[in-house]
Amino acid sequence: MKVTLISIPVRDQEKALKFYTEKLGFIIKKDAPLGGGNRWITLVSPEWQDGPELLLEPAPNHFEPSKVFQDALMEAGIPYTQFDVDSVDEEYDRLLKLDVAFSVQPTEMGTVKFAVFNDTCGNNIQIVETL
Amino acid sequence: MPHLLEMTFYQEKINHIKASCYSNDQQIQTIIETRQFIDTNFEKDLNLNVLSDVNSTSKYHLHRLFKRYYGLTPKQYLIDKRIEQSKKNLKKGMSVTETCFAVGFESLGSFSKLFKTKTGKSPSKFQKEQVSRSELDTNF
Repeated sequence: MKVTLISIPVRDQEKALKFYTEKLGFIIKKDAPLGGGNRWITLVSPEWQDGPELLLEPAPNHFEPSKVFQDALMEAGIPYTQFDVDSVDEEYDRLLKLDVAFSVQPTEMGTVKFAVFNDTCGNNIQIVETL
Repeated sequence: MPHLLEMTFYQEKINHIKASCYSNDQQIQTIIETRQFIDTNFEKDLNLNVLSDVNSTSKYHLHRLFKRYYGLTPKQYLIDKRIEQSKKNLKKGMSVTETCFAVGFESLGSFSKLFKTKTGKSPSKFQKEQVSRSELDTNF
């Protein structure tokens, strides 16, 4: 078995696609219709295109417990998904200029530095730099 | 959305973990410096004796602390670092043999075996796929 896909619940796939490509910088790997206006959209890192794919999963719109869980994580400030970056400070500055809202500013803890932002699609996302 | 001045559940938990697991700044700094030393010297003949000399720490203590703060041993980290760098070298067109020694492995056999274990492909197969992929991008 191989780890190839990470799902992230989103309320609006088109909005999420714009945020994750235009602001975060991911690129589309797959985009196929699934019926009912839903799509199978996966994204990858530009510098690691054969790495794991990020699935923009519209589950909260179709499965109530997913919506409840996502809302609870958002309310508690918990990031369920995290991405590695070379520099948290640089990404923080870059994303602030793109009007991305952070709930945790760059913070050091042990051998990592991290920050948490709102992806505007229902999720807290953590970026992490290994020190 | 919680008010920015209020501490979220997550921030409270983070503060708790920080206080209970990551309060020894000096120890953490030593381990971070060890990792940075590996990052800039991975192609050399590194072992626990060398790393512990750099930080004037006992090698068993260093091994234990590295594992505690990074979740893997210095040797495991060094191997991952070398494999990561070897992928970059192979992508740039460096030969398998040259790559093996450039990243610090002493035997082509152990390099190839480790590379395959870590990436699922032999170094030569990995390199061929990179080349065919770049040709595909330009010719297709």
